[in-house]
Amino acid sequence: MKSLFSYSLIIARRDFLAVVATPAFLLFLLAPLFMIVLAALGGSGASQVAVTSANAARIAVIAAPADVEDIKAADTALRGLTGRFAGPPELEVIVTKADPTKEAEALIISPKTDYYAVMHGPLDKPSIAHRELARNSAAFLSSLANEVMRERKTGTGFGAELSKPTLTAIQRNESSAGGRQMTAYLSVFVVFFLTLLLAGQAVGMLAEEKSNKVIEILAAAVPLEAVFLGKLVGMFGVAVLFVTFWASMAGLAVLAIPGLARLATLAPAVGLPTFIALCALYFTMAYMLLGAVFLGVGGQAGTMREVQMLSLPVTIFMVAMFGMSSAGANSPGSTLATFTQWFPFSSPYAMTARAATDPAVLPHIMALAWQAIWVAITIWVAARLFRVGVLKSGSWKSAFGFGRSAAN
Amino acid sequence: MSSLPPVWAEGLIKYFGKQQAVKGVSLSAPEGQIYGVLGPNGAGKTTTLRMMLGIIDPDGGERRLLGESNPRNANNRVGYLPEERGLYPGMKAREAIAFMGALRGLEWAEGRKRAGVMMEEAGLGHATDKKIRQMSKGMAQLVQLLGSIVHKPDLIVLDEPFSGLDPVNQEHLESLIKAEQKRGATILFSTHVMAHAERLCAGLSIIAGGLVRFQGTVDEARGRLPMRGSYTPSQDGSDVAGLLPAGAIHDGRVWRFTVPEGGAETLVQGLLASGHGIAGLTMERPGLHDAFVSIVQQARAEGELAA
Repeated sequence: MKSLFSYSLIIARRDFLAVVATPAFLLFLLAPLFMIVLAALGGSGASQVAVTSANAARIAVIAAPADVEDIKAADTALRGLTGRFAGPPELEVIVTKADPTKEAEALIISPKTDYYAVMHGPLDKPSIAHRELARNSAAFLSSLANEVMRERKTGTGFGAELSKPTLTAIQRNESSAGGRQMTAYLSVFVVFFLTLLLAGQAVGMLAEEKSNKVIEILAAAVPLEAVFLGKLVGMFGVAVLFVTFWASMAGLAVLAIPGLARLATLAPAVGLPTFIALCALYFTMAYMLLGAVFLGVGGQAGTMREVQMLSLPVTIFMVAMFGMSSAGANSPGSTLATFTQWFPFSSPYAMTARAATDPAVLPHIMALAWQAIWVAITIWVAARLFRVGVLKSGSWKSAFGFGRSAAN
Repeated sequence: MSSLPPVWAEGLIKYFGKQQAVKGVSLSAPEGQIYGVLGPNGAGKTTTLRMMLGIIDPDGGERRLLGESNPRNANNRVGYLPEERGLYPGMKAREAIAFMGALRGLEWAEGRKRAGVMMEEAGLGHATDKKIRQMSKGMAQLVQLLGSIVHKPDLIVLDEPFSGLDPVNQEHLESLIKAEQKRGATILFSTHVMAHAERLCAGLSIIAGGLVRFQGTVDEARGRLPMRGSYTPSQDGSDVAGLLPAGAIHDGRVWRFTVPEGGAETLVQGLLASGHGIAGLTMERPGLHDAFVSIVQQARAEGELAA
């Protein structure tokens, strides 16, 4: 008699080929491309709106004619200190009219204009009216007035360099703590996203077998655990194809697109090759764990509607695992981080984060073994639930070893 | 080596919730024979077969499949055609047969090779690379049957194999079953169509209401009911009724009656001596269908079945 794994591979082979040898698989493989194109279109549109909005934004100074040139010179000098994206909106200098206070208020609240802040009054004690959330613009106007007053008192010129620094750029060989945290979070997100996206395919598999009536043939020929494991492995093969394809595309993009190469500097604590290997292993464990749960849940369902309803709580639970793991990643060494590393369903994500921030490798070997045990337990439980709940064989007690089965 | 027959069960019991579907079924199918498990709908046939195969576990009793107490240990030597036919619609016929063989320990390549040969012999050579969804129901059923025997099992279990087949395919299936028996396999099949059982089975069990009501040969089953006769006199007369057993019915031309046990010769002698002549006379045992109906009705009358 063949081993459990041999039977599993027979089933896995069938399921794998049934998925990849169809035209629909190509659509599945290229689905993220559609998402990327749509995201790019949406982002382009959003950035257009942002640029348009930024171009329309203004700050203003209602000034006496004698102050106009000084204010403009101070503005030019101060803008040189801020980067292109950090600067305040464009300055407009308005020569004083009858009631500057009323005019300032009118400019702020007018629906036809986009003034974030307006300054008026004497430059040594100016009044600045601003939108509720435009404190930075108000602060800039304040600095403007201050720069004019400073120049008038010292006579050194606007933006004069009183200190001449020497700038030295230093290259880091290791990523910073912030970089590692960012790597931790990103890796948790990627592993979770891929797991949820790909393991969700498993939820309808047994329901499909039941509707095809093939389950009877499978259940008669091989142990149910082999059926569950085989289906998981088959779909995992599909997931590996998917991830390999897109990881290759991402790698090419990092090499080809300038600026993206900087992503390579988010070096994890265990080293990049080990980190990539660990991410792959943790994705495997996360997939197997979640896939086994989805298979077990789906196996209890009689219709696709029941499948969808039953899988929702599982999805919500896994999002909670992601949230906890991300929170734990932000505070390495905390009680939450330790809990998420031990709890089976959050362990793959939490340990991925740990690989980014902690150079020790031994905990990962232990964690992988722990997760593998839980994969086996989950498959065993799912098979038992299927046997009792769907095949109506045995009692709940005997299924989980609390009572003797009547079978000889 | 076990001395028990390939299929053996003693006192199998099965509950589904509070309902007892099988109440103590005992079976014994001799090696190399075609053995029938007959019964009306809901009798417990499929449940019994599933318990024997290990798909579900009994709640009581013992079972041995090819001498193994755990049916899984005999997995590679058993072929099974379930009542609910099921194949992957997108799979090609040859691959489907090879897949079913692989589940029973046959190498893929060998399974594909045998599948091609078997489909050719079954008249399905043109459909080897057709997908299951492109086949008619009868063709798909034949494919599934071939899948259940591709690995040349010692025991073949067929649950309602003739259901859904047209007469031509039914005959083809009977030929296949006989061929497998000639090869040396033991065949256990369930049906509620008596004609097939009558033609194929050397032995049978009739299950009704979760219990075995009869176990024996087809002739023994038929022998439970008295012979039936019909008599057409050359010259009718008012005293003909007196020559026949009590309860004889005349339909205007033919007299129909039940032949008393051991009374056939006396009856014939009486008719010959009567002077009415014999234009037609038949005496035959009822068919398995009648025996089956009688046994099931008896069980119902005993109150053990739901009306």
